[in-house]
Amino acid sequence: MSEPKQFPVKLEQPGHRETGGGNIFSKVFDELTAFCRSRSMFILHYCTGCGAIELPPAMTSRFDMERLGVSPMVSPRQADILLITGYVSVKTLKRVMLTYEQMASPKYVIGICSCTVNGGMYWQSYATAKKLNDYMPVDLYIAGCMPRPEAVITGLRELMEKIRKGDAVGWQDYYRRYDHYLGNQQRLFGDTWQTPTNVVAEARHYGLFGNETTGEHTELLKQHQEPLEALDMSLGLTDKAGVES
Amino acid sequence: MIEAHLPVERLSVILGEIKEVKVTKRGERRTRVDVGADALPALLELLKGRAGFVHLSAISCVDWPDDDQFELVYHLWSYELNLLVSAHTRIAREPGVYVSVYDIYHPAGFFERDIHEMFGVFFEGAPDMEKFILTEWDGPPPMRKEFDSEAWVDEHFDWQDYRPDWLVDLEEQGGGVAIPPDEQRFSRRSEDEG
Repeated sequence: MSEPKQFPVKLEQPGHRETGGGNIFSKVFDELTAFCRSRSMFILHYCTGCGAIELPPAMTSRFDMERLGVSPMVSPRQADILLITGYVSVKTLKRVMLTYEQMASPKYVIGICSCTVNGGMYWQSYATAKKLNDYMPVDLYIAGCMPRPEAVITGLRELMEKIRKGDAVGWQDYYRRYDHYLGNQQRLFGDTWQTPTNVVAEARHYGLFGNETTGEHTELLKQHQEPLEALDMSLGLTDKAGVES
Repeated sequence: MIEAHLPVERLSVILGEIKEVKVTKRGERRTRVDVGADALPALLELLKGRAGFVHLSAISCVDWPDDDQFELVYHLWSYELNLLVSAHTRIAREPGVYVSVYDIYHPAGFFERDIHEMFGVFFEGAPDMEKFILTEWDGPPPMRKEFDSEAWVDEHFDWQDYRPDWLVDLEEQGGGVAIPPDEQRFSRRSEDEG
């Protein structure tokens, strides 16, 4: 029986794919993984704006998204797709960024509706973000105001195809060009903007640390970054002696 | 004084008690009342106490930069008369301070807080003048007429690139967009200037 190290399959590091030791199985494994991955996707149950109204029919019996292997998921930690379903206000965008960074890689972002593409009918509004791919890598846009469930499902099939071919690599771009994305976030949210996720360390972990991962904006982040502290977990109840438990 | 029996008569009696009030009947169930800033709280008190206008549906604020004034509109609904009274009053734009009617109508607290963050009008005696919806906004009050939303957007956001490859291909074949978005976007402004 052959030893396991003869199969150097590094699933999360497609950059190493070419140096697979000349083992033909590594590519087969990658393709198999990509195929399986594209057939089992969980959409984070988080909706912004008005396009969310098209998702219930897309999910339920009428259009039945689940026949494609796509179903909703409540937790960002277990979700694959972040579906931005409409205008993103600046306040919401902060939450979206936090959510996006919490999701485990590989992760995919779909921007639905005109508003995520260019601000849509809110192009003049001070309160809504105009171009979603300034702040996070977007794998696919589905234009429309708003797109019908058919369009949503076509978009999802498109994404499945991209994943199968290995083209949906926006999440890697976030690590490789983190400085660019962070710069746009800082421009909108102010210099003190920070998230609990250490993206630079994650980039190193995934082997995606590049020339543009760090730069002037990550330097600015370092100046303002405050270490995370554990949350106070007391219930605020007092026992008979008046001591807080 | 004699209380009129019918609520409608009561309303006209009450409106007669306030000095310098201009009543305009706008429709079957709509009455507009223009009143001085000093008399407005007294008017609200009377309308609520004696004519059954128990529901303050909203307070709106209108910016009149040419007159250097803010107009405050109190929308009052009576379930007895099925009548909407909008009480209009005008205050000076600077310093933009008015009294709160929270002690008469408690929902006013929310409306006043909203107007404070959107227009910068300060309501004396209001329970809370903190940020309400725009909690993470540190710019000027955005609903004031002098706030140029478009300029703010230009400064803080990038526009999407509207010349993707497929559009260039189309244009080479003689097609494409009739009016480029950049010209569309600022068309209204150039009309104003011209």
